[in-house]
Amino acid sequence: MTASAVRTGTDTTGAVQSLTLGKALNQGLRAAMEADPRVIVMGEDVGRLGGVFRITDGLQKDFGEHRVLDTPLAESGIIGTAVGLAVRGYRPVCEIQFDGFIFPGFDQIVSQVAKLHARTRGRVRVPIVIRVPFGGGIGAVEHHSESPESYFAHTAGLKVVACSNPVDAYWMIQQAIRCDDPVLFFEPKRLYHSSALKAEVDTTATPDPLFASRVVRAGTSATLITYGPSVKVSLEAAAAAEQDGNSLEVIDLRSLSPMDLEPVFASVRRTGHAVVVTEAPAESSLSSEIAARIQQECFYSLEAPVLRVTGFDVPYPPAKLEEHFLPDLDRILDTVDRSLAW
Amino acid sequence: MPDFKSFPLPDTAEGLTEAEILAWHVQPGDTVTVNQIIVEIETAKAAVELPCPWAGLVTEIHVAPGDTVAVGTPILTVDVDPGGAAAPAAASSASNGAAPAATDSGAEEEMKPLVGYGSKAAAVTRRPRRGPAVPAGSGAPAAQVGVQAAFDRAASVPIEVEKEPAAPVPATAAAAGSPRSAVPLAKPPVRKLAKDLGVDLRTVVGSGVDGVITRDDVTTAASGSTVDSQPAASLNGVAPSYDAATRERRVTVKGVRKATAAAMVGSAFTAPHVTEFLTVDVTPMMQLRASLKNHPDFRDVKLTPLAFCAKAVCLAARRTPDVNATWDEAAGEIVYKEYVHLGIAAATPRGLVVPKVRDADRLSLRELAATLQELTDTARDGRTTPAAMLGGTFTITNVGVFGVDTGTPIINPGESAILAFGAIRDTPWVVDGEIKIRKVCQLALSFDHRVVDGQQGSQFLADVGALLADPGIAITY
Amino acid sequence: MSSPEQWTHPEPGETPAATAASPSAEQVIAGLRATSEGGSELVQLLTPEGERVPNERFDPYVADVTADDLRGLYHDMVLVRRADREANALQRQGQLGIWVPLLGQEAAQIGVGRAMRQTDMAFPSYREHGVAWCRGIKPQELLGIFRGTDNGSWDSQAHRFHPYTIVIGNQVLNAAGYAMGQRFDGKVGDDDGEATVCFFGDGATSQGDVHEGFVWAAVYDAPLVFFCQNNQWAISEPTERQSRLPLYQRARGYGFPGIRVDGNDVLGTLAVSRWALDECRHGNGPVLIEAFTYRMDAHTTTDDPTRYRISDEVETWKLKDPIERVRVHLVRHEMADEAYFDSVQADADAMAAELREFCFSMPDPPTSHMFDSVYAEENPYLAAQREEFLAYSASFEGGH
Repeated sequence: MTASAVRTGTDTTGAVQSLTLGKALNQGLRAAMEADPRVIVMGEDVGRLGGVFRITDGLQKDFGEHRVLDTPLAESGIIGTAVGLAVRGYRPVCEIQFDGFIFPGFDQIVSQVAKLHARTRGRVRVPIVIRVPFGGGIGAVEHHSESPESYFAHTAGLKVVACSNPVDAYWMIQQAIRCDDPVLFFEPKRLYHSSALKAEVDTTATPDPLFASRVVRAGTSATLITYGPSVKVSLEAAAAAEQDGNSLEVIDLRSLSPMDLEPVFASVRRTGHAVVVTEAPAESSLSSEIAARIQQECFYSLEAPVLRVTGFDVPYPPAKLEEHFLPDLDRILDTVDRSLAW
Repeated sequence: MPDFKSFPLPDTAEGLTEAEILAWHVQPGDTVTVNQIIVEIETAKAAVELPCPWAGLVTEIHVAPGDTVAVGTPILTVDVDPGGAAAPAAASSASNGAAPAATDSGAEEEMKPLVGYGSKAAAVTRRPRRGPAVPAGSGAPAAQVGVQAAFDRAASVPIEVEKEPAAPVPATAAAAGSPRSAVPLAKPPVRKLAKDLGVDLRTVVGSGVDGVITRDDVTTAASGSTVDSQPAASLNGVAPSYDAATRERRVTVKGVRKATAAAMVGSAFTAPHVTEFLTVDVTPMMQLRASLKNHPDFRDVKLTPLAFCAKAVCLAARRTPDVNATWDEAAGEIVYKEYVHLGIAAATPRGLVVPKVRDADRLSLRELAATLQELTDTARDGRTTPAAMLGGTFTITNVGVFGVDTGTPIINPGESAILAFGAIRDTPWVVDGEIKIRKVCQLALSFDHRVVDGQQGSQFLADVGALLADPGIAITY
Repeated sequence: MSSPEQWTHPEPGETPAATAASPSAEQVIAGLRATSEGGSELVQLLTPEGERVPNERFDPYVADVTADDLRGLYHDMVLVRRADREANALQRQGQLGIWVPLLGQEAAQIGVGRAMRQTDMAFPSYREHGVAWCRGIKPQELLGIFRGTDNGSWDSQAHRFHPYTIVIGNQVLNAAGYAMGQRFDGKVGDDDGEATVCFFGDGATSQGDVHEGFVWAAVYDAPLVFFCQNNQWAISEPTERQSRLPLYQRARGYGFPGIRVDGNDVLGTLAVSRWALDECRHGNGPVLIEAFTYRMDAHTTTDDPTRYRISDEVETWKLKDPIERVRVHLVRHEMADEAYFDSVQADADAMAAELREFCFSMPDPPTSHMFDSVYAEENPYLAAQREEFLAYSASFEGGH
């Protein structure tokens, strides 16, 4: 994070707070609702319960039931009515309870949310934010650990972002709400309550732009390109790589559509080695897109093909097998070794 | 026999990493039953009561109310067999050959919970591997070649992906330079290099694993040192095209031709060339040469006039080091060198090649002669290595070999002077006021006027000429 | 056979349920009454106090129930509850990642479960452990989903009990299709006809899939019983958040009968389920049953109900316990004595101990299971991934 937004210290009141990712989202939502009365939050169990992950905790109490809606149990209903509310002038922030439950709403997202602006030649805007807890590693049952971001990055008319840390979470949710385009906002659920990932959030700072990537670790041997929950494991892999004598550069994409790839290209031109890390399976995915673009822009710089470390092309497995499915430190470094030895 | 079981803090809500202990409902010494509520904890989601997994005696509580505990941390220990005889160490070791109870009487069996996020703490180091971590070469090119070969061979047979071909399809021999059906194996940066140097990868034999073409392979090919010594017509694998209508033949500019042309242009239009001429009576040199032929040291060495010329150049360069220096435009410096790497221009079937005699100034006449002989043979065979062609400081171009008198040679890029050594002819010459027939040749020195002034150039040329005219002068150096 | 006159004629209640974000006092009271009492059209054969009340329409469907049968129903409910409590404890002990409790809904599930025949098909949601019990699936076989070793691997075709469906409402559409298949196969029209029962909760009735299921089952006359367990809560959302009117009244809009039964009355549920299945077998389906019950525990072990509902409500429903009313009835009518209840308790304890031991020793599946069974036919791209992964795993000391 930019230096201006990070301070050391134990101050938990005032402008600088030490927050988990989940609490940072909560504070960001709160700030967005205070700034604009047209912002409303809607979803299953978001009001009285405060959300199954407590991300909307306290918002209904403070802003009222007309701004924080406990909805009936229907994702297509949540998204579809949000479209209508947006047409009416509201700025809805929808919560999909878990990634695997977004599919009943897929029709509304692709057919209406993504297309309305183009259909009306820009007269009608759809400033909807659809928040989705995504990714695995929480030992859950089926449909609770998916990574469906590729479907939405593939859909023109949508913008897609993924935060990876509390500081980004705090700012990106507000920026997404202010954005006049519909934004799919992916949140790494396994990191919501991680106290190890707590960070100081300075609410007076100036944040990075929403649709920008960031080099989170400088290096010279190879470039790791990643986002969301995989940023953490990539940084851990880079730290371990020092012992092998390899200096890995790690780039957090942050924005999945539109992607800010210039920093990635510049990095790959320096290192000659690119490895993409995602939980989402590789076949016909965002990682495929990244590989295609890198080979196009950095062709003469590539000492090895762009390699990918991803979930396998299987349905997300039962919890006891998920650690084998998810990219981990060993698999990332094994792939880096392959790239360097090419 | 006491059987201790340790209860690790569970993840009660899909992905929790820690919890705070609120209150214990039991204490050490209490008897507990299965599912009896023993403790209350607070997580990020809720306050939860935990039931005991076993029946038995609580022996120890490991965490206190108020503690924040990571999932997986043992929170209490229960002896599930408290009534069992607590056998003393001696007795238990006598009962069976098991490990002595002294260290073992309290061995705890930690229950393996369904691991929540906390128990599987993120790894920070790599797990140990068996054998080499990465298979050498990864087999990727072999696999690719294997698949390509499979497609080539199996036109009418359903294609099966070959996982491991028995042996990599050998990179097709450079025989006849015929184009291969598959794309040559080379990494993008090597391809770019080949493109810039005008090398056709289809004619290059890859020296890398599985026939992959390396950077060195390309630079070698660019300097014309491959085995292939086919006539220029089929060098590029492309037959020159003769057009009967125009009576013209077009040959694509590639390879060494292209590289040489680029070098010439670069030199000619960068360094301000000045050429000075000197005609020398080298009869004494030729006489010395004749007499040295019978010398034991020179019996098995071919002593050419070129060797004398080379020796003269090295000696003269000591007096005028400027001709051995380099103009470094980027650094804004002239680089004076303490060594003479003498380039000898040679014509080969592939074109102009300039191998270097390294540290020529340290070689005796005999060593120079031997090295020159070897260099020329190697160049004629097309076996000059890329290393041998780098780093020259001065070049001699022996135009005399072609029966040519002199010329205006172009300086080799990276150097500041070049000497054309002309043919040695019987020529009428004035000796002591009389016309005699002498062995005469012309020297032409082109030099870079940024580095070498007229006076220095002239001095150098005169010195070379003097040494060739009267080799005895060398004794004064 | 039933005809439209015999259908329940639903009219909206005297006071509409709370729909606005800020309900009026009358609406709150009406809501509370609805959740506690079920309304005037609730079918009930056994009161919370264990009294058998006559019901002209449904008594015939339980006329054959003997003391033995009643004791059997009691036994079922006690064991099912015990399995549920044991699994809940196992989760709290870290042996299961999550558990979905059915506490309070035993009668609803045993009632319909024992009404079904072996040839009937069941499409559960993810809480129907009591129905699984009736279909011959032991509690052990359910654990894989919650422990994270599999996604529901009992033989669903043999038991006629579809795998648990976690996406809300999907199974209702799937069930409609299956029931259509029963009709297309000519298995519908007489006493020997087949039927299908799909299970879902009050929250699910907001999902499009459920409404589409209603439409399809109706237009194709599918032999489908829509069994809705209205346990009053969809995580933190009360039923008022899903509907303006009682759920059973929805069926009218689609053109088939809807009926509300006391879901805590095993006898009533059995009777109504038998009637509904009978209708379906004879080709008069579909039918909607709303079993009016209460979710006594949390939505899952991850949930914390203290954040959204008052404990008084739970206390009220304890007085309507499904097992207690049968116990009282058995005692009052001298159909069971202390020895009998002790033996049932012993059975429950034994079953729980077996379940516990099984759970503790459940092995992890081999890692290759991720790749196996993704396709019925070979996929070479995936096969290559599998080989690569297994080789990579084997390259580590200690296997993987």
